[in-house]
Amino acid sequence: MLPPFELLEPHSLDQALKMLATSESVPLAGGTNLLPDLRARGEAGGRFISLAALDQLHGIEHSDSRVLMGARTTLSDILHDPLMPTAAPSLVSMAKVFAGSMVRNAATVAGNICYGSPSADVVPPLLSLDAELTLASAAGERTLSLNDFLLDYKKTARRPDELLISVSWAPPTTGTANLFYKLGRRRGDAITVVGVAVTITIEKGNCTKARIALGSVAPTVFRAQEAEEALVGGPLTATTIGTAAQAAAQASRPIDDIRASADYRRHAVHMLVRRLLTEAWQTAGSQHD
Amino acid sequence: MNRIESPAASTANLQLRQVGKPLVRTDSPTKVYGTAVYAGDLTMPGMLCAAVLHSDRASALLRHVDTSRAEALAGVHCVLTAADLPPSQGVMTDMPGQTGGLTKNTKQPILAKDRVRFCGEPIALVAAENAAIAEQALRLIDIEYEDLDGIYDPFDALAPGAPIIFGDDNVVASYKVRKGDIEKGFAEADFIVENTFTTQYQEQAFLEPEAALAWVDEHEVLNIRSSTQVVEHYRAVADAIGLPHNRVRLRAEFVGGGFGGKEVMTIEVWLALLALASRRPVQLVQPRERSFLSHGPRHPFTMTHRTGVSGDGKITALQIKLTSDAGAYAKLSPYILLYATVGATGPYRVDNLHIDSVSAATNNLPACAFRGFGTMQANLACEGQMEEIAKLLGMDSMEVRRRNFIHTGDANVTGQIIRSAVWSDQCATQALATLGERPTDTQTTRIGHGVACYQQSYGRIRWMKDSSEAWVGVEMDGTVIVRSAVTDIGAGQSSALAQITGEILGVPMDQVVVYFGDGAVTPLAGTSTASRALYMSGNATKMAASQVRKNLLSCVAGYFGVKIEQLDMCDSQVFIIDDPQRSIALKDCVKLCAAEGVHRHNLAIFRAPTSEGIDPETGQGEVFPDFTYGAHAAQVAVDIETGEVKVLKSIGAHDVGQAINLRAVEGQVEGSALMGQGFALCEELILKQGRLQTGSLSEYLIPTSEDVPEIKAIVLESRSGLGPFGAKGIGEPVYAPVAASIANAVADAIGVHIFELPITPEKVIKALREKESTK
Amino acid sequence: MTDKETQMITEKRVDIQVNGQACEITVPAWRTLLEVLRELGHKEVKCGCEKGDCGACAVLLDGKVVDSCLTLAWNAAGRSVTTVQGLGGPDNPHPLQTAFIEHGSAQCGYCTPGMIMAAKALLDDIPEPSLKDIKRGLSGNLCRCTGYTRIFSAIQAAAETLRQQETTS
Ligand SMILES: Cc1cc2nc3c(=O)[nH]c(=O)nc-3n(C[C@H](O)[C@H](O)[C@H](O)COP(=O)(O)OP(=O)(O)OC[C@H]3O[C@@H](n4cnc5c(N)ncnc54)[C@H](O)[C@@H]3O)c2cc1C
Ligand code: FES
Ligand code: FES
Repeated sequence: MLPPFELLEPHSLDQALKMLATSESVPLAGGTNLLPDLRARGEAGGRFISLAALDQLHGIEHSDSRVLMGARTTLSDILHDPLMPTAAPSLVSMAKVFAGSMVRNAATVAGNICYGSPSADVVPPLLSLDAELTLASAAGERTLSLNDFLLDYKKTARRPDELLISVSWAPPTTGTANLFYKLGRRRGDAITVVGVAVTITIEKGNCTKARIALGSVAPTVFRAQEAEEALVGGPLTATTIGTAAQAAAQASRPIDDIRASADYRRHAVHMLVRRLLTEAWQTAGSQHD
Repeated sequence: MNRIESPAASTANLQLRQVGKPLVRTDSPTKVYGTAVYAGDLTMPGMLCAAVLHSDRASALLRHVDTSRAEALAGVHCVLTAADLPPSQGVMTDMPGQTGGLTKNTKQPILAKDRVRFCGEPIALVAAENAAIAEQALRLIDIEYEDLDGIYDPFDALAPGAPIIFGDDNVVASYKVRKGDIEKGFAEADFIVENTFTTQYQEQAFLEPEAALAWVDEHEVLNIRSSTQVVEHYRAVADAIGLPHNRVRLRAEFVGGGFGGKEVMTIEVWLALLALASRRPVQLVQPRERSFLSHGPRHPFTMTHRTGVSGDGKITALQIKLTSDAGAYAKLSPYILLYATVGATGPYRVDNLHIDSVSAATNNLPACAFRGFGTMQANLACEGQMEEIAKLLGMDSMEVRRRNFIHTGDANVTGQIIRSAVWSDQCATQALATLGERPTDTQTTRIGHGVACYQQSYGRIRWMKDSSEAWVGVEMDGTVIVRSAVTDIGAGQSSALAQITGEILGVPMDQVVVYFGDGAVTPLAGTSTASRALYMSGNATKMAASQVRKNLLSCVAGYFGVKIEQLDMCDSQVFIIDDPQRSIALKDCVKLCAAEGVHRHNLAIFRAPTSEGIDPETGQGEVFPDFTYGAHAAQVAVDIETGEVKVLKSIGAHDVGQAINLRAVEGQVEGSALMGQGFALCEELILKQGRLQTGSLSEYLIPTSEDVPEIKAIVLESRSGLGPFGAKGIGEPVYAPVAASIANAVADAIGVHIFELPITPEKVIKALREKESTK
Repeated sequence: MTDKETQMITEKRVDIQVNGQACEITVPAWRTLLEVLRELGHKEVKCGCEKGDCGACAVLLDGKVVDSCLTLAWNAAGRSVTTVQGLGGPDNPHPLQTAFIEHGSAQCGYCTPGMIMAAKALLDDIPEPSLKDIKRGLSGNLCRCTGYTRIFSAIQAAAETLRQQETTS
């Protein structure tokens, strides 16, 4: 049972932004985070703005240089998009292990990002693709990197009057591998214990770009930048990969919880980063052969 | 000692037309079309909604409970606390429906009075116009607690000077088994192996949370329609609130899963009180989070085995210590401990044996019945120990098992002679063989095979003096009615009675209607627990149907001028076996009987074998009617970098005596394969100072479709059981070995045994690290 | 912002097609589709958790499977809902229902209505699902009784039947 709350149903983006600007209110997208939270809280109150009717926030556009994903894109939309497997392989791998089909049909990309949870599965793949976010308010739009958007545990750079309206990134170039792995306490429909996304670009046998994004091992999803730096400039060897994996584990600041201890999480980061980098090196390298 | 006459003997040569076949269960269509009615689906005019306030302290004095603000809320009809309850002030949580003696301290307060003993203990009840008002009322109840020290570990609870949770001490129950000469046995041993195994709390997690509806009818009868495994709770409800037994009627609807969690009374007595107080129909459907607090999960056990073995793998002596955490009330803990004690040596014969078992009270959630009922925990230790012995001796673990298997005619732990077939070896061998070749290890994964055998009782403890009644009758049009108060908890309990009756009376199963689960109008059948429903009610139904058959055939025999033995029944016809053209339709046969005043129906009672208990000093005596044997085998892949365990294959092979419905039997094996996998790998109720940390289905993780391995059921039939047609009980037995087989497979894969369930990735990594460092 | 916009609208009339029947109800914003369907008498929609963990409440909303416990009734306004009873019944069983019956895929049956709706959505999406597809499609629908194996085989059988119906029609 949900406690009483108020729900506004704007018909246009402008109307929604106006509502956000003038009344203390919270956007409601798929509701898969908000509604369980409300139910758990049990107390009446709050004003929500339904994004259901805002067609502007739907749709995925692909061009050669950019993928633009509306904020109301659901996890199912990602799975159904025929171009997504090349535009964001890690995002597709992620969507396959995200919740179950009903929640995938409701849960939105924006909701996942804006909720600011460290275990948000959409975030590591997008971070590993250097995604950018476009936020809109009645005052105008701004674009910032996803990396800059994530501040702390359930804290983001979003101002209360802003809506996330789209996410964009450059699709991986040839010679790029983009992988994701979710470690959970069961295989289906589980909260992530450790989530890892990596992007590796190989040119002429050397790694020219590396991204390592980690979920559930710090107050927010974050990039292990020191580990990334350890990889760029040369070929990936067992040694460089090992160094990077170690650095990623060290950069993690996990906690003990009911799912796993901090110790184990750090260990798993080490192992999974090593594994994904090794695999990425092989796949990215093979694209050039 | 009484010789047990196996009911199978009398029908040994019967040619089976329906029994054993994978027929469509009678309850399938209604469930698949969405028309099946569960307790939460019922509505009545004027119905109120109930809600329960559960304590959020584990150990505290209730200084003050003030309900005035809640009562003042518009739409609230009544608010009840301990102060409003009848003087009995308690509800019996002893073996449900039992007619024998009660164990001590099994009365539990209906609502906490003066003191709460666990986090989640019910304190107040509300009935209101709708659920929202009821919830709001709960928030308006003011409670002043004074925290007390709590005890959250059974070993702390048993230490001298520990604060007492209830009763005279914190020992909820204890048993002793003394058999043979243990000193001599250890002296004869070439090796002594000692290990301690622990298991966690497991939640039943049935998909349907507790639900019931209660009202007082025009005859001043208190009616309750509930999701319960036990209609005989009507007696406990009546006793608790001071009504005569004949003024409480309990009906069990289709139960959306029980697994033992709806065996002890859950919410019925609360609703009874609210219905009496409000004089309105009242319904309660527990939200999932409160469901976790409303029954009782599986007991955590700590189990130490010290085993003496000879060089060739024969167990010469065995000393076992079992400790279980009963939580804050006794409930069925004494019985569960007894099951664990009897099951502690698994399916093995041990002549020199000491067992000391104890169940301790703590301020944790009171644990209670759950499929396997203590036996499966005890069995896990036993089967893990088999592997450790084999490893030490450098033997194949199946060889060690073979040296020690109990056989028909041997005495078990309590000295009871096993009379039915023991096909442990055949089952284990087939299950293992079905695993097939091992895939090869990769750089990061290790494959393991594991097997576990078991011995699990079916039927109730003998001194419960168990019985079941059933009524079978043929209507004038040749259709058949079965009446049995058996509860249908999802395993096809009512359908099996239709199949048995159809077999005996030669009518298609869909011509049989089973009225079940009504404590007032269907003959009492006892509980759907202890793997007894089919055994007991199947026998009672078969007896009743057989008597009806006899009556009908005697009329037809006269009509045709033949002997009864020359007749058979099939496809709603009675015919002469040697001359099938000479036949009479069942409906005409019924008319014949009616004209002659012969009974076309029969009420039968089946009694289980009884005994008077065990010797308290030696633990010797007959405890159960009989046992089921079998095995489970698992193939796992362990990721040695992350510690993740993936079950690849899961094979159950069981001697079920006689399958009544083959598909239903396979369904039990398959379901238990996954439930056991959950217990082995991912399910765990975590309590912190008595407070539940994993109290919803996103924190308490049961296996999903993505976790399903290749599952196979191998069904063997010795026809040696005490059930109808030689059937044995299977609901719990098929579950008993699963977790152990997976634990053993993991040990096989990584070369070290993990003694503590569940086997989380984390524990795998820890075990691997320890193995590395001791190299 | 105008007064009209800030004014709290507590109740709203909502039109929903349920299994082809037009239903009209007036509900507050916080009422879930699950609650509304059950109030309308659609008790075949089950409730096991009220927060998306179990799938017992799954229904089709404009053809897409959703957890009705996480869907606000307001969001179902003007849309069509299909429950397991809308899929078929004894007189016109859907191939999934026939297969669930024949394969013994329901034990306690509490997960079954949601499970069948998730399966329906899966087959609409992937008419020839692999075992992997089926496992993925059902991972939000918990079943405690069956071990899922008979549910998988029923879905495969139903897919086959539907395929044959397709080719013969
Ligand atoms: C059973 C279940 C399983 C789940 N499994 C997973 C999983 O595997 N992985 C995972 O990462 N998560 C999982 N979740 C969590 C949840 O589904 C996701 O985080 C989802 O993406 C949230 O999206 P939503 O549209 O439902 O968000 P909502 O609940 O509607 O909103 C979430 C937050 O985002 C804000 N918000 C939404 N849209 C916007 C916008 N456009 N602009 C600004 N703010 C916005 C809201 O105000 C709110 O604070 C699960 C949830 C459930 C119930
Ligand atoms: S009741 Fe909706 S998912 Fe459980
Ligand atoms: S059949 Fe009981 S939960 Fe699925």
